[in-house]
Amino acid sequence: MEQVAEKIGNDLFKDEQVIVDMQNVTKRFGTVEALRGVDFQVRKGEVRALMGDNGAGKSTLIKVLTGVHTPTSGKIIFDGEEVQINAPADARALGIETCYQDLALIPLMSIWRNFFLGRELVTNIGPIKWLQRQEMAKQCQESLLDIGIHIRSAEEKVGKMSGGERQSIAIGRAIHFGAKLLILDEPTSALSVKETNKVLDYIRAAKERGLPVIFITHNVNHIYQVSDSYTIIRQGQSVGTYMKGELTQQDIADLITGAREK
Amino acid sequence: MASATSPSNFQKTRARLANYSEVVVLISFILLFIIFSLTADNFLSLLSLTNIVTLAAIKGIFVIGVAMLMISGEFDLSVGSTLAVGAYVFAILMEHGFVLGGTQILPPGLAFLALILALIVSALLGLINGLIVVRSGIPSFIATLGTMLAFRGIARAMGNSELAKTSGNADVVRFTGEAPPLFNVLNGDLNFINDLGTPAGGARMAIIWFVIVVVVAVIVMRFTRYGSWVYATGGNRMAALAQGVRTNRVLIWNFVITGALAGLAGVVQFASRPAIDPARGEGWELIAVAACVIGGIWLQGGYGTIIGAAIGMLLLQMVEQGLILAGVDIQLFQATIGLILIVAVISNTWLSRT
Repeated sequence: MEQVAEKIGNDLFKDEQVIVDMQNVTKRFGTVEALRGVDFQVRKGEVRALMGDNGAGKSTLIKVLTGVHTPTSGKIIFDGEEVQINAPADARALGIETCYQDLALIPLMSIWRNFFLGRELVTNIGPIKWLQRQEMAKQCQESLLDIGIHIRSAEEKVGKMSGGERQSIAIGRAIHFGAKLLILDEPTSALSVKETNKVLDYIRAAKERGLPVIFITHNVNHIYQVSDSYTIIRQGQSVGTYMKGELTQQDIADLITGAREK
Repeated sequence: MASATSPSNFQKTRARLANYSEVVVLISFILLFIIFSLTADNFLSLLSLTNIVTLAAIKGIFVIGVAMLMISGEFDLSVGSTLAVGAYVFAILMEHGFVLGGTQILPPGLAFLALILALIVSALLGLINGLIVVRSGIPSFIATLGTMLAFRGIARAMGNSELAKTSGNADVVRFTGEAPPLFNVLNGDLNFINDLGTPAGGARMAIIWFVIVVVVAVIVMRFTRYGSWVYATGGNRMAALAQGVRTNRVLIWNFVITGALAGLAGVVQFASRPAIDPARGEGWELIAVAACVIGGIWLQGGYGTIIGAAIGMLLLQMVEQGLILAGVDIQLFQATIGLILIVAVISNTWLSRT
């Protein structure tokens, strides 16, 4: 089954169809081998779920892709070109937007300040960069409305928003700034059912705009709702990549825990 | 009666007030002002009020630097020592010029150059703080506790050195010449205010410098990218970093600004009382932290305003003056400040709880 999926990945979809291709990536922390030669490929326009138990290596894999960790060995090809990602800033420059839980936003700052943080629209007068406050508030509100997120005021503090709304800011921001790949780390883990559904809607909205999404989750239900495919990681290795509907939920759970071999 | 499900008017008001971190300090200020007006003789006199503002303004100059640092999530406990070093540089250059190995490199009395050099030296001390914190990653509380002692040592050594030409019991550097015009610009009397009453007031130029520093800082924090980055650095440093904010650069600049403002405060103070001793500014680092915290700035950073810190400093000075005028033992000053600090922090926490 794995071979079939990988064949699909390698043959049918040539480079221009692939946004990211991680080849034989390993990562060692001292004597611990967190990643033991993982191949991971995501196509343009798809929502890929990345699944695995705690400590399976999925976070390490994503941190390698986002520049938090540098791989011990292996190759990363992004948008057709081999790249070195040594820092979060490198990942961002390539167009990889990551939304870590509670790590992507500043709760005490307003929505628009968060939305434009690090990419502020400014007017340069001498050495001073004056914020274009109204313009940023306006663009932020419009851009969020565009993917179905209605906010009362862009001046409101992010800390006052619900968990789902916060995720929406991060997703809206990625779309607005033309990201090439959006990574969501457990975006629904702390949310109510209603809030979760909203976030899943925003993920669909991102997909409709052609933005590929890697969606890290524990929840088998969620991947059935929005993912096109899923990759399962266990003990630092990829168990396999499967298309939606290929396996039952029970199969997936068994593969994650290792109760069943691939 | 408030129902259990919908927020009461009281809660709504609280939520609205929570948007303004200065609320607690402003209300406290007004209440204490009324209390002292009623209980302390001469509190409402021109002399008393102008004294409060002038003394608060001198410390307020560096409090604003400390406030920016605290909003970015860091402390500077070395401001008092930096202030002393800055004042010594200024005093020595004014009185003796710069003598190295018996050669007079700079003649005494070059006021403007002395000011610039004092500011540069104190900014460099701030840079040292910033580099230690950013490069070593140790908490700024510890780093600047260390430099507080180290810079104080530098101030003492300067007071005792060849440069200062002190002798006998000295360490004190006095400026004995005729005050240059720059002294008036730095901290001359503001006669248009002082002549408003009898006895005349004690308003000085320090107030103008303080106002300028506050206005510039408020504009920077609200309307420039740097201000946004300061809040982001204190609010959630990892997120700010991930969004491309150069947090280390923000921190280093904040330390440099704080150092330079401490130096400015030292020079301004020297300009009205031209003598400097090695104990100058001792304990002021904690006054600055207290002013900021009472003013609504969070210890962990990311929240609070410049205006709040400025009101916090005015409040502290008002309490000191008010207690003296009310005939309360001045030993109780610190106890009172401590109490106000705790009450203010509890109120601020309660208000911002969502």
